[in-house]
Amino acid sequence: MDHEETEMISRCQQGDQEALKEIFDKYHKKVYRIAYGVVRHREEALDIVQEVFIKLFHSIKNFKGKSHFYTYLYRMVMNTAIDHARKTGKQFISSLDEEGSFEPSDELEKGPERILLQKELEEKVKWAMEKLPAEQRAALIFRDVEGLSYQEMAEAMGCSIGTVMSRLHYGRKRIQELLKDYVELPSQSRGTPNVLKRGEPPKL
Amino acid sequence: MKDSCSSISKHLEKYFDQEVTDKERLLVEGHLQDCLACQDALKSMEELRTLIKVPVEEAAQKEDFPWVWQKIEREIRLKEKQTWWQFLRSWLDLSPLFKKKVWIPAAATIMVLLFITTQIYFKKIPSYSGASVVEYVESETNNVMVYDLEKARVTVIWLFEEPEEEVSPS
Repeated sequence: MDHEETEMISRCQQGDQEALKEIFDKYHKKVYRIAYGVVRHREEALDIVQEVFIKLFHSIKNFKGKSHFYTYLYRMVMNTAIDHARKTGKQFISSLDEEGSFEPSDELEKGPERILLQKELEEKVKWAMEKLPAEQRAALIFRDVEGLSYQEMAEAMGCSIGTVMSRLHYGRKRIQELLKDYVELPSQSRGTPNVLKRGEPPKL
Repeated sequence: MKDSCSSISKHLEKYFDQEVTDKERLLVEGHLQDCLACQDALKSMEELRTLIKVPVEEAAQKEDFPWVWQKIEREIRLKEKQTWWQFLRSWLDLSPLFKKKVWIPAAATIMVLLFITTQIYFKKIPSYSGASVVEYVESETNNVMVYDLEKARVTVIWLFEEPEEEVSPS
C-alpha cells in the first residue's frame, strides 16, 4: 500500500467524503467488474457498487491495515455480490431455460450472422457462469478478469489457497463441460477458433 | 494424453495462472513441447479466460459512473442528516468541557452566587408568621380596640368612651 493510499484511507476513516471519492475514482471499475462478473446483470451490478461504497464509508474504521486495502474491498464486493446473487436467484437468467436449451431472441435473429453468433456466445457464457456456485464464479472473476494471485484471492475470499485452487479448478471444469457442445474449444478442435453450433442444445 | 500428462495436469492449471515454482515451470514447459493434448488444454483455458473477461470489461466501459457517485453521495448525506433532537444535543453537548475540567471553577462560582442570592432574597421579605392583629370597632356609645398578640397568645382590649362634644363658645 503506497503512502498516498494510506493517507487517503486514513482521511476516509475520519469521515472525509472527499477521500471516499478518491477511493471511488480509483476502484469503481474493478468493483463493478467483480460485481457484474458475479451477478451478470447491469443494474444489479450498479446497485452493488453503490452499496459497497456506502458500506465502505461506514465500516472503513475497521480496516487495520493488516492486509492489502484492495483485498479488503474485494472481499466486501464479493460478499455483497454473492448476497445479491442468492437473493435474486435465477431471475437474471436470460433466454436460456432451466433445461439449458437455447432459444435465440428475436433481436438476435435480425442481426448479421457474425454478430448473432457473438451475441449467442456471450449469452451462452453468461448462462454457464450463472450455473456455477457464486463462490466459483467469484474465483474465476478474481483470477481471470482482475488477475489476482492465489494469495490475494485467499485474502479477499477469506479462505485458504487450497480452497481458492479448488474453486478455480471446479469452476473451469464445470464451464468447459457446459460449453463443450456449444462452443468448440481448442481441446475439441485444436487450432480452430470458437465456432458456435447453432441449434444444438448442450448436453448437461 | 500421454501417461505423463496425469502427472503434469496437476501443475498445468497453476502454470496457466502463473503460480508455479521455477522447477515446476521447467517441468511443464518441457512436457508441453511434445504433448499436443496438454497444449490444447492450455489453449482451452486461455479461450475460456477471454470469454469470461471480454463481456465483463465491455460492460464496465459502457457505464456512467459519475452518476453512481452522485447516488452514493446523496445516500451518505441522507443517512447523516440529524434529527432535531440530535441537533439540539450537539449544541448542548458539554462533554468537551467536562474533559478539560474547567467545570470545577465554573461550578464553584455558580454555588457561591446561588448562596449570596438566596441570602439577599430571604432577608428582604419580612416574615408575617408572628404578626399581631389590631381590630377597631366603633359604636354609638363606645369604641373598642382589640390588639391580638399572636406569639404571646395575649389579647389586649381598649374600651373608649364616646368623647364629649366640644362646646363651642357662644
